[in-house]
Amino acid sequence: MTATSLVRLIAFLLLAAFITMPQGFAFLFEPLIAPGAPAIYNQGSLLVLTLQHLRTVCLATIASTVLAVALGIFVTRPSGAEFLPLSRSLVNIGQTFPPIAVLAIAVPLVGFGEKPTFIALFLYGLLPIFENTLTGLTQVSPLALEAARGMGMNARQRLVQVELPLALPVILAGIRLSVIISLGTATIGSTVAAKGLGEVIIAGLQSNNIAFVLQGGLVVALLAVLIHDGLGLVERVAARKLGRFLNEVP
Amino acid sequence: MIEIDRLTKRYGATLVVEDVSFNVEEGTLTVVVGTSGAGKSTLLRMINRLVEPSAGRVLIDGEDTRTIPEDELRHRIGYVIQGYGLFPHRNVADNIATVPRLLRWDRKRIAQRVEELLDLFQLDPAEFAHKFPHELSGGQQQRVGVARALAARPALLLMDEPFGALDAVIRSKAQDDLIAIQRRLGATIVLVTHDMNEAFHLGDRIAVMDQARLLQYATPAELLMRPADDFVERLVGTVERPFRLLSLTPVREALEAGHAEGEPIAASESLHDALSRLLWTGRKALPVADSSGAIIGRVSVDKILQHGRPLP
Repeated sequence: MTATSLVRLIAFLLLAAFITMPQGFAFLFEPLIAPGAPAIYNQGSLLVLTLQHLRTVCLATIASTVLAVALGIFVTRPSGAEFLPLSRSLVNIGQTFPPIAVLAIAVPLVGFGEKPTFIALFLYGLLPIFENTLTGLTQVSPLALEAARGMGMNARQRLVQVELPLALPVILAGIRLSVIISLGTATIGSTVAAKGLGEVIIAGLQSNNIAFVLQGGLVVALLAVLIHDGLGLVERVAARKLGRFLNEVP
Repeated sequence: MIEIDRLTKRYGATLVVEDVSFNVEEGTLTVVVGTSGAGKSTLLRMINRLVEPSAGRVLIDGEDTRTIPEDELRHRIGYVIQGYGLFPHRNVADNIATVPRLLRWDRKRIAQRVEELLDLFQLDPAEFAHKFPHELSGGQQQRVGVARALAARPALLLMDEPFGALDAVIRSKAQDDLIAIQRRLGATIVLVTHDMNEAFHLGDRIAVMDQARLLQYATPAELLMRPADDFVERLVGTVERPFRLLSLTPVREALEAGHAEGEPIAASESLHDALSRLLWTGRKALPVADSSGAIIGRVSVDKILQHGRPLP
């Protein structure tokens, strides 16, 4: 076992142990709190909150991926090329609009809870996936495409059998970026009553309990690092087949 | 037979190919040669309709290519480009299987065909079938590119500068391999190149193009003896002309009775090779052997030199 996979395993075990048995780590947080205050988050199960957090991020990323990849494919076809500038600006607006402002606008429309968070994450996650889909599809070797056309592949066969597989590592990198951004951003969803790890942080801020803030933050951070790492592995497998990017995927 | 009939391509006011007609006999290798920008590649790409002709038509065995759906037409015509365009995400076997898969051959038939082609191109299936293009040398990539184009037994093979990306040593080996495979399969090939040596080495017939027009379509020997105009004459190379002529003629054409000392030369080798051996060894004549190795006569310097000039 290499050193990196050992570190990965330790980080994962640490995270799993902490969210399933947080009381076992109480001694670490006791020095940080005022006497008598709880050292470990006590208003709900960390495990349930973590799973809900992941669920929101996962659903939002799937939705962003479907729309961004579809849009990326559409604007790289001859028939969709004229929509490229328009889609770019739309997706950019999604990115420049602060998620907290999206929440404020979405709550009156769809109510409190998971929905406004989902909308904010969905819009925020579009840009990296869209841009990477564009990059991936436009950098496909013109020689491979010419050969595909010369061998009698129709437009759909070229897309499915040549363009998408060759663009896959780059698209995956966009999805990874989007997931990482969403993991952090999802914490603000708790301000509009979405279930997630933001609850732990906000509870800590309200009761002036540094230990809570730290616990929420640490779990999100560890999740982000592990997921970043895991998706990076998937990308490398996809890229290794192409014999490139090997050094570009961290 | 491939009939190219008054083929023309116009982009706006620019003529890229102007009124080109010639026929390619089945089982022959035709080379289209010319300077860059002469319209050779466009001509080639009009045959499989990657470029739509502005006028004229192409008949394959009497069938007008415009009546065949584009994709179906291209399944029936092999296509090899400079740089090959192998799919980097597919291994050698899957690359070769591209067209058979598009044609929905069954799995077993595809596997059989792939193995057959790997053998034909001297690539050991056990070693190469699962390699990816980036793991191959230039020469191996080239062979996979040609094997892929031949996979579905096309009626015609189009090659656009197929040796352009190879270094000189590998290139001449690849050219010899192509000739051997073409003879063995009886394939009909149209090949585009800017290299006159390549054209003379490979072509049963050569089509010389310049500035969108076909200047001459003839056998290599005719091209040397009776160039259609000054441009063809210059392209053929006045200085190299006798040597090219000698390399087109087999030793058996200059065979004479008699005895000679030294290592025998095969009757199927060219007079160019024979002359080169004679010059190097300082002899006046060499014994000639047939394919079984038996001496059948000799070839002399005087006789070779007679073949290096146009007939009176």
